[in-house]
Amino acid sequence: MLSAELSTTLQDIAQTLGLESDQGKALSQFLAKGFPTSKWEEWKYTSLKDFNGIDRNWFPKGNSNLPVSADWAELIIRSSDAYLSIDKASSNDGIEVLSFDEFVQKCPEFQMIWANKNPILDQNSLYDLNVALCPQHTVIWIKKDVEIAQAILHQYQVNSTEKASSVQSRLLIYVEEGAKASLIEQQTSTGSADILSNFVQEIFVSKGAQFTYLKDQDFQQGVSHIDHTFIYQAEGSQVDTFTFSLNASLIRNNLHFYIDGPQVVSNLNGLYVPGENQLMDSHTVVDHRMPHAESNELYKGVLMGNATGVFNGKIFVRQDAQKTNAFQSCRNVLASTRATMNTKPQLEIWADDVKCSHGTTTGQLNEEALFYMRSRGISLAAARTLLLLAFVQEVINKVEHPVLRESLTEKIIAKIQQSVDLSN
Amino acid sequence: MLSIKNLHASIGEKEILRGIDLEVKAGEVHAIMGPNGSGKSTLASVLAGREDYEVTEGTVQFLGKDLLDLAPEARAAEGIFLAFQYPVEIPGVSTTNFLKSAVNEIRKYRGEDPMDAVQFLKMFKEKMAYVNIDQSLLSRALNEGFSGGEKKRNEIFQMAVLDPKLAILDETDSGLDIDALRIVAEGVNKLKSPNNATIVVTHYQRLLDYIVPDYVHVLYKGRIVKSGTKELALELEERGYDWIKSEVD
Repeated sequence: MLSAELSTTLQDIAQTLGLESDQGKALSQFLAKGFPTSKWEEWKYTSLKDFNGIDRNWFPKGNSNLPVSADWAELIIRSSDAYLSIDKASSNDGIEVLSFDEFVQKCPEFQMIWANKNPILDQNSLYDLNVALCPQHTVIWIKKDVEIAQAILHQYQVNSTEKASSVQSRLLIYVEEGAKASLIEQQTSTGSADILSNFVQEIFVSKGAQFTYLKDQDFQQGVSHIDHTFIYQAEGSQVDTFTFSLNASLIRNNLHFYIDGPQVVSNLNGLYVPGENQLMDSHTVVDHRMPHAESNELYKGVLMGNATGVFNGKIFVRQDAQKTNAFQSCRNVLASTRATMNTKPQLEIWADDVKCSHGTTTGQLNEEALFYMRSRGISLAAARTLLLLAFVQEVINKVEHPVLRESLTEKIIAKIQQSVDLSN
Repeated sequence: MLSIKNLHASIGEKEILRGIDLEVKAGEVHAIMGPNGSGKSTLASVLAGREDYEVTEGTVQFLGKDLLDLAPEARAAEGIFLAFQYPVEIPGVSTTNFLKSAVNEIRKYRGEDPMDAVQFLKMFKEKMAYVNIDQSLLSRALNEGFSGGEKKRNEIFQMAVLDPKLAILDETDSGLDIDALRIVAEGVNKLKSPNNATIVVTHYQRLLDYIVPDYVHVLYKGRIVKSGTKELALELEERGYDWIKSEVD
C-alpha cells in the first residue's frame, strides 16, 4: 500500500485533474491498488513495494538536446521527460508525428479502431498511473502504402533531477494498410538519480502492413523502466519486435500481441543481459484470436553478477484461432553463481487444430567446451566471452540493419567482457 | 622435450595413474597402448591440464618448464596440443573464428603481434591442404553436427594451424573408417619434423600402420609395464593384452 504521505500527494493531484475526468479516475484506481508487490502473481519476482513509500517529482520539467547523428534514419523523433517533444530532423510526406487530438481530427476513421480495441489483458496499476499522469499521446502516423526505406529513430531519454522523479510517456503508432516501416527506439537516461520511467505504447498495424519495432534499452543505474507495449495486428500484417535490455536497475517489459485477423505473422525477439544489481523481467502475451496466424518467440538471456531475470511467456490460442502455429523458446545462461533466472511459459489452447511448442532452458556454460577452448590456447576469460557472444548472436543476427547489429554487438561484448573480467 | 617422473593422478578418491615415467625427445613418435581402463586417456588429459584430475605425486617437465604449474591455455601456448577423443561441439563459433582467437591468444602469450585477416587467410589455405579439409566445414559452427570423420579431421587441421611442439593424439582412431583414418594419419605424418614430437594414444594397432612409432609403451593399471619398438605393437595385435596382464598380475 502507498504510504500516507504519497497517498495525500496523489490525492491532491487527482483533485486537480478532476475526480470525474479519465485522468482523475485512473489515478483513483492507482491509489486503490498502489505499486505491484511480490504478492501480485504477475509481479512475483519484480516487487515495486519500495516505490509505495517514495514521493517523487510527478511532473518533472526539462528538455534534452540530444546530439543526433544517424544518417541511416529517415526521421528522428526525440522525447524526454513527461512529454514526447517532437523534433523532426527531416520530414517525410508518408509520416506524421502529432498529438492525439490532432490525429483523431485528421484521421476520424481511427476513432472506430480506438473504440473497438481489445481490452488490455493483465492491466496493472502502472498502466493506470500512466493514463493519469501523462497528459497526451504522441502519435506516429504512417500513411497508407507508404514504404519507409530506412528507419525511424525514436530517442526516448529520461533525465534525472536531484529528487526522485517519475516520467510518464505515451506513444501511439498507427500503421495504415499496406505500409511498411521500422522504428528504432533508443531508450537512455542522463544523471544517476532515482527515476521511474513508465512508458506505454499502443501500436495498430493495419491490413497487410509490416512493422518492425526495435528497442535498445540502455539506461543508467538508478532507472526503473516499466515498458507496456500493446500491438494490435489486422489481417495479413507482420510485426517483428526486438527488445534488447542492456542496462538499468530494473526493467519490466510487458509486450502484448493481439492477433485480430487471419494470416498474421508475429515475431518476438528478446535479449537481456542484466549484471550486478540489475533486474530484467520480460512478460509477453501472444493472444491468437483469429485463424491461420503464426507467432515465433525467441528470448535469450545472459545473467551476470547477482542479476535477476524473469521470463513469463503467455500464449493464448482462442477457439476461433484454428490452424495457428505458435512457437516459444526462452534460453538462459547463468554466467555467475550468484545470478537467478525465473522462467514460466504459459500456454492456454482452446482450438484443436493448432501447432504449438515451447521450451525454456537455464544453464551454465559448458565446462567441457571451456576446457576444449583452453586446450587450444584461449584464456578462460576469452573462452567465456566467445561462448556467451555466440549465444547472444542468434538474436542479434536477426536484426536487419548492419549498423545497429554492430553497435548492439559492441555494447553487449563490452558488458560481458567486463563481467567476465570481474569474475576472474 | 617431455620428462614425466613418477606421475600419480586421481579423480575423486580413485587413483588412476600410479607412477608413470616417460621421456620423449624431439623428433620421436611414442605410442601409448593398453587395455580399456588402463589410464591412457587420463595421461593425455593430465598433460593437457584437465582440472577434473588431481596430480598427487610426481613431476612433468616440458622444455624445461614445470608443466603441472601451467593453466591449460598456457600449456597450449608453450606448444602442447591434445587431439580429443571426443571433440566438443562449440555452438555458434566457427572453426575459423575459433582458431583466429586461439592463434592470437597464443601469440599474445608469446609476446608477438596478432595476425591480421590477410595473414590468417594465407596460413589457413596452406594448412587446409594438409588434411584435405573443405572450406565449408570451417565456416560452420565448430564440431556441431560434424560426422566422426569430420571432427577428427578438424582436430588435425587445428593441430596444423597451431603447429605444436608436442602433439598428443587421444584415441584419434576411434570412430573412424579406414579412409578417414588414412587421411588423418597422413596429416599427422606431414606435420612431423625433427623439432616436434608426437604421442599417439590408442587401443588398437591399426593406427600405427599409418603413424609408425619409434617407441611403444604398454600402460596397465596406471603404470607403464612394458616398452619396446613398433614390433611390440604387432605382438599385441596378435596376442592381445592378456599375456602382459598375466606377467604383471
